[in-house]
Amino acid sequence: MVFERERVTALSAPARALGVQEGMRRGGVQLLAPQALLQERDPLREQGLLEQTALALLQYTPQVTLAPDACVLLDVSASLRLFGGMRALCRKIGVTIARLGVSATLSSGVTATGAWMLARYGNVRTLRSRSLQRRLDRLPVVLLSAAQAHLEWLHGLGCRQLGQLRRLPRPGLQRRCGRALLDMLDRAYGDLPELHEWVVAPPVFKARVELPDRIEHTDILAAYAQGLLVQLAGWLAARQLSIKQLHLWLEHERGRQAVVPTELRITLSVPAWQEDHLHTLVKEKLARSSLPAPAIALGLAAEELQAMQAASELLFPEPGGSPEDHQRLLELLVARLGADKVRQAAPRADHRPEIANRWCSVMQPATTLPAPLATDPARLPPRPLWLLEEPLPLRMQQHKPFYRTPLEFTSPPERIEAGWWEGRPLTRDYFTARDARHAYYWIFRQWRGGEASDEEPQWFLHGLFG
Amino acid sequence: MLPPSSPVHRPENIHPSLWLASQLARGGGHGVSSGFEALDAELPGRGWPTGALIELLLPQDGIGELRLLRPLLARAPASAQRAARITRAERIALLQAPHQVNAPGWVHLGVQAARLLHLQADNAIDACWAAEQVLRADSCHALLMWQPRLRKGEHDLLRRLHVAAQAGQTLFFMLRPWSCAREPSPAPLRLTLQAARDGLEIGFLKRRGPLREQSLFLPLTPSPNLQRHVPTVDRRTPATAAAGSIPSELAG
Repeated sequence: MVFERERVTALSAPARALGVQEGMRRGGVQLLAPQALLQERDPLREQGLLEQTALALLQYTPQVTLAPDACVLLDVSASLRLFGGMRALCRKIGVTIARLGVSATLSSGVTATGAWMLARYGNVRTLRSRSLQRRLDRLPVVLLSAAQAHLEWLHGLGCRQLGQLRRLPRPGLQRRCGRALLDMLDRAYGDLPELHEWVVAPPVFKARVELPDRIEHTDILAAYAQGLLVQLAGWLAARQLSIKQLHLWLEHERGRQAVVPTELRITLSVPAWQEDHLHTLVKEKLARSSLPAPAIALGLAAEELQAMQAASELLFPEPGGSPEDHQRLLELLVARLGADKVRQAAPRADHRPEIANRWCSVMQPATTLPAPLATDPARLPPRPLWLLEEPLPLRMQQHKPFYRTPLEFTSPPERIEAGWWEGRPLTRDYFTARDARHAYYWIFRQWRGGEASDEEPQWFLHGLFG
Repeated sequence: MLPPSSPVHRPENIHPSLWLASQLARGGGHGVSSGFEALDAELPGRGWPTGALIELLLPQDGIGELRLLRPLLARAPASAQRAARITRAERIALLQAPHQVNAPGWVHLGVQAARLLHLQADNAIDACWAAEQVLRADSCHALLMWQPRLRKGEHDLLRRLHVAAQAGQTLFFMLRPWSCAREPSPAPLRLTLQAARDGLEIGFLKRRGPLREQSLFLPLTPSPNLQRHVPTVDRRTPATAAAGSIPSELAG
């Protein structure tokens, strides 16, 4: 339960069952529920959390503002169509809010003040001004913050609902309670225009969350990181940016046993802004990294940014994933398997097969790759589909190279003599050969001291034809 | 006696995914032609099924399994020659390849090197995870995965991969050793391959259709790599080749 100025202001359901009520003093609470956790209210942190929520909700509309009593107001009139209607939008907002680790009541109305009052009353969604007025009429007067000072007088009149308040003569009400109450009432019913100061996204994104305990499970850390990524998604949407590099740091114990924060950097090959994609990347990255010590806080910063490029869609979409899906797939694979395990071909023009066959990480941009090989295969000598890591020495049997069974030559030799310019001269005669089980191999005869020397050549197996 | 028009004789009229044990299933949609008439005729859906786990069981690597898939892999849109970007229809993912993938060799096979995506994982779990991600994203034309024998308790992975494959249109081939033939598998199509002279013997271990006892011989031209070497000079290597090159039927 939460205290403010030594009085209970918020409490959990089990505490209520023990007989604790709002407004009780600390001593009384400890008597009723000795094991209860008592927390002092922290308005600064509440304000911070509210601002984080507003930032995260910027992904649904650029017009977000904060209202008193821990409310966030969103102007969604322009977003309804984009997100597929009110219901779908509310569901999405609910998910976003839950990912931040916050609970909320969602209400909607055609006027901001009306929606604000409905939200403080409960989950009420109205779409038309007529239904909004009907619901407002039944709300208690307490919700009208301008009427707080005159609450007792109004209750004395028997005026407990907004509908009753509206039926009172306006000149008299203005004389007694002032202009503010009437203005607020009119704004709620849509008779006066409303003005808001919208939340502006900060120029630089940097968020941090304190963990409730020392945590070393990366799964739990990933769940907290999601709260940060939700804010990042809102910030990116508001500033129309997409991210190229994420910086995530984990703070460890401070003080005497201080440990240097663990820093993780996630680089994306193609800028992204989708929260789910970023979350899977962060999760895989966290799962792969080992923590030197339990973490006590988590921070996230956006490092390299680019202007967001809207995806262009085809009128008749092709079956299967889009190119963007493929980029996301590659990043995901790189995050778990490592950049050196997800490779693309970068063949070099060289006669030596080991050197001609080169692969590099997919994260290397395509422009730095060498030009593709000549496309007419008929003019090139045969090459196998598989190369062995190291050529395998073959023994001889009845003057034939032997690998499981004796090998038969099926092609004339191809001489490769290269590498002398690097000081590693290489003289090989390559053959294709077939074994008794009809599999084809690529074998070579190596001349060690050149063809003229007396040394017997050595046979090696170098590749397989699939 | 049932009249010939009875629904029992034509169960596909009741529901497309029903078939008699003596028929080949037609319900799974059209497959992608394998490029061999004789093989297409024996496959349900007249071709390799998309979005399903296909198992090829090999006695050893390099017996011609890729020559069997060559018409499928080499078939690429005409734009492939010039377009800088690789589209989905061209991309081929290789996962856990048994040896180094030799890019110039694949060019001979008719597959441009840029179309290949080469993945290597440290263990079976990571490999299956990677395969699942590739199938989910559905952004590759074909996925070839080499899977050595699974340990006990890892058989659920196959089922998981089959389910993941069903979500997309990717052609998913899993190449496994011959010894896996006795293990149960969720794959709807399981073929055993064996090298034969100038071709492959294909055994049908499991398919949606009647049991076929004898294997199918598929003549494969020797690897394109082996043809047309030094095209103008028709010269055999001396002595060594001549000794064993007489076909057995002629010798006997």
